[in-house]
Amino acid sequence: MAHVSTTTLPPKRRSFNELLSTDLRALPIVIGLVALWIFFASQSDVFLTPRNLSNLLVQSTVVGIMALGLMFVLLVKEIDLSVAAINGVTSVLMAKLIVEFGFSPWISVPIAILLGAGIGSLSARWVTFVGVPSFVVTLGLGLALNGLQLILLPETARYSLNGTGLERIALTNISGSWAWIVLFIGLAAFAALIISEVAGRRKAGLETALVQAVVLPMAAATVFGIIVVMILTAHQGIPLVLLIFAVLLGIGGYILRETQFGLFLYAVGNNDEAARRSGVNVARIKMAAFAIAGGVAALAGIIAASRTLGVGVFSGGGVGGGTLLLESIAAAVIGGVSLFGGRGSIHAALLGALVIGTVSNGLNLMGVENEIRLIVTGLLLVLAVSIDKLIEKTTGQQSF
Amino acid sequence: MAALTAEQQRTVAPVGGTPLISMRNIQKHFGSLHALRGASVDVHAGEVVALVGDNGAGKSTLVKVMAGVHAADSGDYLFEGKPVRVNTPTDATRLGIQTVYQDLALCHNLDAVQNLFLGRELTGSPWGGRRIRRAESEVRAREVLTRMRLGGMSLTRPVGAMSGGQRQNIAIARSILWTPKVVILDEPTAALSHSAAESVATLIRTLADQGLGIVVVSHDIHHFVVNSTDRIEVMRLGANVASFKSSEVTGEQVVNAMVGGNEGVNLAG
Repeated sequence: MAHVSTTTLPPKRRSFNELLSTDLRALPIVIGLVALWIFFASQSDVFLTPRNLSNLLVQSTVVGIMALGLMFVLLVKEIDLSVAAINGVTSVLMAKLIVEFGFSPWISVPIAILLGAGIGSLSARWVTFVGVPSFVVTLGLGLALNGLQLILLPETARYSLNGTGLERIALTNISGSWAWIVLFIGLAAFAALIISEVAGRRKAGLETALVQAVVLPMAAATVFGIIVVMILTAHQGIPLVLLIFAVLLGIGGYILRETQFGLFLYAVGNNDEAARRSGVNVARIKMAAFAIAGGVAALAGIIAASRTLGVGVFSGGGVGGGTLLLESIAAAVIGGVSLFGGRGSIHAALLGALVIGTVSNGLNLMGVENEIRLIVTGLLLVLAVSIDKLIEKTTGQQSF
Repeated sequence: MAALTAEQQRTVAPVGGTPLISMRNIQKHFGSLHALRGASVDVHAGEVVALVGDNGAGKSTLVKVMAGVHAADSGDYLFEGKPVRVNTPTDATRLGIQTVYQDLALCHNLDAVQNLFLGRELTGSPWGGRRIRRAESEVRAREVLTRMRLGGMSLTRPVGAMSGGQRQNIAIARSILWTPKVVILDEPTAALSHSAAESVATLIRTLADQGLGIVVVSHDIHHFVVNSTDRIEVMRLGANVASFKSSEVTGEQVVNAMVGGNEGVNLAG
């Protein structure tokens, strides 16, 4: 084939509309979140105290982790309605192993997570090989797991985990200089990632704007990290559960943005036939997505069990998944994950969970009843998706 | 328009050298349906061959056999003069045969680079989770697009935000990314505006000029097939019924051959 010399063109400046439909997709939800915080701060003097903000973050963790796992399934245009049931049944099994069989938490926790992943991949097998829609498979499986959860519980309908060592997950806080060391490690990992990317571009002879590619993201991450750590250390330090969530967000973000598997998730969610023709093993990708959602749901269940010092009928949101299931789906969708597959970034789990956590926390402080909280959360879900659609129509850019 | 003589229909100036692809007397059944009844086609380097025919004529089946989507029941499949077995799309890809399907098979939420490399990403080690080597991919993508005279195309815009013609170009670029020898295009100008179709036709000619063999299935006889290809193979009922040099034939004559308007002449030849 004829040799043709190659020229590298400078990147074209993108319009605000294009940015709003891609990189700045989260902007409306961030603005909404800030508005909520301003509103609740004006209603309650307690809202912006380090103690309350720390509580708010910890309260958002379980839903955030659930939403994080669920978004892998939503990305491949499927849904898993059994995640709350997986959360419940695996935490009950873990408690049974610890309380009745004397297992160490170091053994029972990994067993619970692996079991969650196994249940998730089982759903995917059913969906991909038998061809039953994931909505039906996971709805049925969720109910079956609810039944199993009740069978696994003792006559008292509760296992107390007090004194088993598991409560340390919820009670551990990283304070003082250790909190700053943790922040430094996180920032160093982030810096290594973006610097390696810039180095790769330069090695390939591509132009890279250092300010845009390195300085701005690093400055933003540093300022954000310092503010969060300052608030948390002003109370009791960084709660371990929050650190677990942050690490999961980091790993999830890396997978989705940087890896081949992450790209396959987006490809399968948008056009699974195109992905299949390109050599992507669609069934395997879906299986991995369901397994991640199941494993992560089990981990969320363990954290919830640690926070409540036990498991029972209420674990996993109770029969049918209760508000845990609905809030997990809502968090992902509010954060910008499309129910139609192929769209959503890792920050969706964080932002969505923070919105739901903020509404719950703020209304509690205002002394508003639980039923009003549910109404507000539901309306916010509809509002968030409506704003998303309006942006799509106004800018003329499709959602990706 | 006068019908062509059988001699005119059958005799096409031979293209020099061994054909890249030579399929002879291909037979294919789908149950009781006899889809291909001894179909034949040659594709040379630097040549654009159009396969035309009415619905059910067998052209799509023939290109699917060529692309390894269907295996032939019998017949000879020679690649660069050597007999080969092409039973799967992977077999075809290994030989250097790429196919661009009518639906383009693109992911609209991914950008041009991601679509070009989908399934064959340049990645790092498994220890890094197979991190995509984006910079290298961009350079390689830009090289291919430049070769196609599409150097100005955005690499970072989602394909769904591009025009139909640009998407067609991305699909073609993906097929030539791994330096194939033959590219099969299924209805490349369907659903495109006139200007976009012209730009795709120019692109196809550019690729042929660079030495690729191009096979095109198209219903756009009067514009695309007659004006932008080198040779036209007309199929009917699973067999070749005519072969024309594109520069020496009109759209009407091709359509006549497709619908059997020259039946008598054909049979007499």
